[in-house]
Amino acid sequence: MRGHGFLLANYVPGHSLIHRAPLALKFLLVFGCGLASFIVVDWRVSLAVLAGLCGLFLLTGAGLKKLWAAIRPLAAVLVVIGVFQWWMLGAPTAARIVLNILVCVVAASLLTATTPVQRLLDGVVRAAGPFKRFGADPERFALTIAIMLRSIPYIAGTFADVRDSARARGLERNPRALILPVFITSVAFARQTGEALAARGLGDAED
Amino acid sequence: MPAVIFDRVRVAVETDSAPELKVLLDAISLELTEQRIGVIGANGSGKSTVLRLVNGLVQPTEGRVTVDGADTVRDVRTVRRNVGFVFTDPLSQLVMPTGREDVELSLRRFVRNGKERRQAAEGALDRLGLLELADQSIYELSGGERQLMALAAVLAVNPSVLVLDEPSTLLDLRNRELLRRTLAGLDQQIIMSTHDLELALEMDRVLVIEKGEVVFDGGAAPAVDHYRMLCRDGLPAGKPR
Repeated sequence: MRGHGFLLANYVPGHSLIHRAPLALKFLLVFGCGLASFIVVDWRVSLAVLAGLCGLFLLTGAGLKKLWAAIRPLAAVLVVIGVFQWWMLGAPTAARIVLNILVCVVAASLLTATTPVQRLLDGVVRAAGPFKRFGADPERFALTIAIMLRSIPYIAGTFADVRDSARARGLERNPRALILPVFITSVAFARQTGEALAARGLGDAED
Repeated sequence: MPAVIFDRVRVAVETDSAPELKVLLDAISLELTEQRIGVIGANGSGKSTVLRLVNGLVQPTEGRVTVDGADTVRDVRTVRRNVGFVFTDPLSQLVMPTGREDVELSLRRFVRNGKERRQAAEGALDRLGLLELADQSIYELSGGERQLMALAAVLAVNPSVLVLDEPSTLLDLRNRELLRRTLAGLDQQIIMSTHDLELALEMDRVLVIEKGEVVFDGGAAPAVDHYRMLCRDGLPAGKPR
């Protein structure tokens, strides 16, 4: 199982300025980048923002390899999106869309590479605190985020395994041989995870 | 030791292949008070169902299961606080990217302060000699290390009963020995299913399960002998070709 292909960068211990920055600021940066991807219409601005974020990422000491590892799983999808948009809407729009997606991924990776998951979850719990009065359980919010972070690499790893076994049987061009096993494995994984969480009493309503 | 009591427990489930319910366990009554209890039997005999009943993951169709007086259906949250469960495959159990984070996740409900939680997690990892591996990705750990990490995450909240479902099945000999030594040093009541008969021989009491019934309940050595006999009797006659 090659489930270690993580979409976002894992936490890298360090003492950089970004490591020490308040969590709220880093959340704001990710939120801001997400928002900007809808607003920015000039690909050159997107490129400048991306360059700035990559610079910040390298300042954390996480390294180029980690940055590439965060982007690599998306490379094929970005090429497809880029070519399609170029054909439909022209090169500048295609470049803007691809660059804006990269901006969001690098910003999110900057957050996850410099913040331990538990601190991230504590932040989510605090942010979801006001919703308690409406019956929401902030710990469940945090657990959902944790499971999401865990599930993405698992499913990506499953896809890689299934692709290899399909290739070994000469079925790499058969979409059913790729999609169906990934789907079944993902459902089984969801059930196992649910059972493991229940066994640990995680996800129960607050006392 | 806490008492785990099965009172005429029957578990039956619906299946697609037959109109009637399939009986997984049939009218089992047990009082488990020993510190180390083994559950052995063939695949599909009902071992996992017995274990899952203890944690409330499976509910009895008839009868009841209690752990220290707490009913596994009515008081399931109390039960789960007291009963830790370790699965065969630690990858389905470890939710977080690293062992440290997973142990901290276990502690979240009990220790609200982040700094105290980190310290408690370090203590839990240190007790099993896992501190050096705490920040490694769970995918970079060996099978045995992963299983111990899953065990650390369960033990961090100090359950009084530890249930393990075939914990050594995916481990090589070295890792199995590592797990065996770790389990030998624990104070908790242990209820464990296993195909590892050497491990079963170290238990205080062993149940042999066959087709949803407890067909032997007693000391480890006679239980293992009984199971071996059952396996021999179940083989097809004649020499293998």
